[in-house]
Amino acid sequence: MTKSPLAPIVLGHNAFFGVDHLSAARGAERAAFFADPQNILDMIHTAYDHGVRGMMMSTHDRAGPVAELIRNDPKLSQDMAIYPLLPYAQKYITKANEMGLINVVIDALSGSGLKSKVSFLWQGGKGVLTKDVTGMLSALIRLELNIFRGLNMPAVFLHDALTDLALGLELKDIFSFFIEELDKNHNSQGSFATKNLPLLQQRFKEWGLPTPTVLTHANKIGFHMNPSLPACEDALNEGVSNVMAMGTLASGYLSPDEAYSYLGQFPTIKSVVVGVSSSKHADETFAAIKTNGWDNT
Amino acid sequence: MTNASPLRIAVVGFGKLGLLHAGIANGLPGSKLVAVCDNSSTTMNVLKSQMQGVETYSDYKTMIAKGGIDAVFIATPTGSHAPIAVDFVNAGIAVFIEKPLAPNTEQALPLMEALERTPVTNMVGYMGRYIDTFAKAKALIDSGALGGLQMLRTSMYVAQLFTKGKGWRYEQKESGGGVLITQNGHVIDKLLWMFGDLEYVTGQTNTLYSSTVEDYAHAYFAFKSGLTGFMDASWSARHFRTPTISIHVQGEHGTLDVNDDDVRLHLEKAHGDLPADWSIWRGPDLYQGVPFDIGGPQYTRQAIDFLEAVRTGTTVETDVKSGFKTQSVVDAIYRSAQQNGAPQFFAEQ
Repeated sequence: MTKSPLAPIVLGHNAFFGVDHLSAARGAERAAFFADPQNILDMIHTAYDHGVRGMMMSTHDRAGPVAELIRNDPKLSQDMAIYPLLPYAQKYITKANEMGLINVVIDALSGSGLKSKVSFLWQGGKGVLTKDVTGMLSALIRLELNIFRGLNMPAVFLHDALTDLALGLELKDIFSFFIEELDKNHNSQGSFATKNLPLLQQRFKEWGLPTPTVLTHANKIGFHMNPSLPACEDALNEGVSNVMAMGTLASGYLSPDEAYSYLGQFPTIKSVVVGVSSSKHADETFAAIKTNGWDNT
Repeated sequence: MTNASPLRIAVVGFGKLGLLHAGIANGLPGSKLVAVCDNSSTTMNVLKSQMQGVETYSDYKTMIAKGGIDAVFIATPTGSHAPIAVDFVNAGIAVFIEKPLAPNTEQALPLMEALERTPVTNMVGYMGRYIDTFAKAKALIDSGALGGLQMLRTSMYVAQLFTKGKGWRYEQKESGGGVLITQNGHVIDKLLWMFGDLEYVTGQTNTLYSSTVEDYAHAYFAFKSGLTGFMDASWSARHFRTPTISIHVQGEHGTLDVNDDDVRLHLEKAHGDLPADWSIWRGPDLYQGVPFDIGGPQYTRQAIDFLEAVRTGTTVETDVKSGFKTQSVVDAIYRSAQQNGAPQFFAEQ
């Protein structure tokens, strides 16, 4: 079992970056409001005042300015744990439409300003690159995490699109590499977001890898929980150790009370991601969390 | 082939959809990825270094010659879909082809002929039918609750292109066209599925950033049922983070609105179990888990249907014939646009 690097309450980032899984229109509205990083910082302070000491951060273009504001804030930079979720897939997908996936990776690395760190790219062109897959991945991780430099990052999550793809393709080495790389070079726990918790648990067991810290959907209606609600509940009861629960409101479908009282029954859920988009919304949400016994101090 | 031995799966074109299909097929019980073909040696080298037991090829013909494949997922640029599929069909291998089927119907004809000669299981990747909200909408329309259908409006917007695009998607010869044939192909597939065959269509297209493909398209549909309405599509539409499809239809007894997030039905009076006034189904209402999810449950359900049809030697709804029909509507809209919106009639199908 791995040690829990998770803050009990973690502020979600989706509202800040225009992601809304219940309504694309609502997502776009929020994106407009949070286009100003100062509005994001204000919301982080509101959450902080409610006892929140952790924050999810994708590597969206807007994450850089927000990270900078946190770095310059003595209170936040000291107390707030940042949990990067990488990569921000949408950014790469748009580019991949134009130049193909592998070229996106090469392009991202060559334009990264990290030339010295990924010098192997220039030593012999693509031929060398392909023989050094882990070197390439290591450089990509460095590139993605660069905007968070100097911040407290107890765990870094691999995006569920990649975790689940690697699970499907049975790429054991990618998982062990990610864990090792984060530990060795970033002093952080390599962790995984997934929509297939029982499968992840099964594969890690087969591979003889220690159960990792995971970020996964947990709600009583089974939204985004595969293969089924009961199978995921079994895994949440005993299959995994440290879970950060996301999607707990099922995209606003459940009330905070319903959502947080459900989570309380699972001993493995050490942390919950909470999305707030206004201070009124924050008051209601954190009140419900407290009522249901979550420690947010 | 017996039910006990896993289906041996190949993928040709290892971009993002090739990866997705490979991951799903390998992750599902009862099928195993055995071979991948891509013309990027970098991609193939990366794959080889990470995956044991998967053969890699730079030429799909060598892959066919080697044998040992039950089904292939073809996710190459559109222009090569049909020629590649023909070779697999001729070898008796079941084919899944990413949408659109081909740049135009003419280029898809050899595949239609090959399937006549060798009728293997075949599918085109119009996965939109497997999205919960659209499946629910189709069931509601089929229930007849709306009465005779009167008018339709539909849109597909995504904020994708605001400078000149690079790559095969923006070269008409390779892609067949712009937003109309790519993301909006899903809309046309859904309309034919929900509302049946067309009497005629008129269309207009416009170029905002691209040089050989359209960035904006507009069409008017007249269905054989008497339903008429219009469609807007753009991949240069601000504020749409991901491709966003909306369909609104009005009937004698009510209205129905559907998008990726929800289905909203309004009925003047109750119809069977459906009450009068508003009924709303949101994503979480309709959600059912899938054995294994990578890019959304719709991709998994699509793969399950395809692989099951391969196992049993049967067909699926979104087969090449159905993809060809969608393609013929796309072609007609392009033709109409070239003739400044002249109506294009469809022969009896």
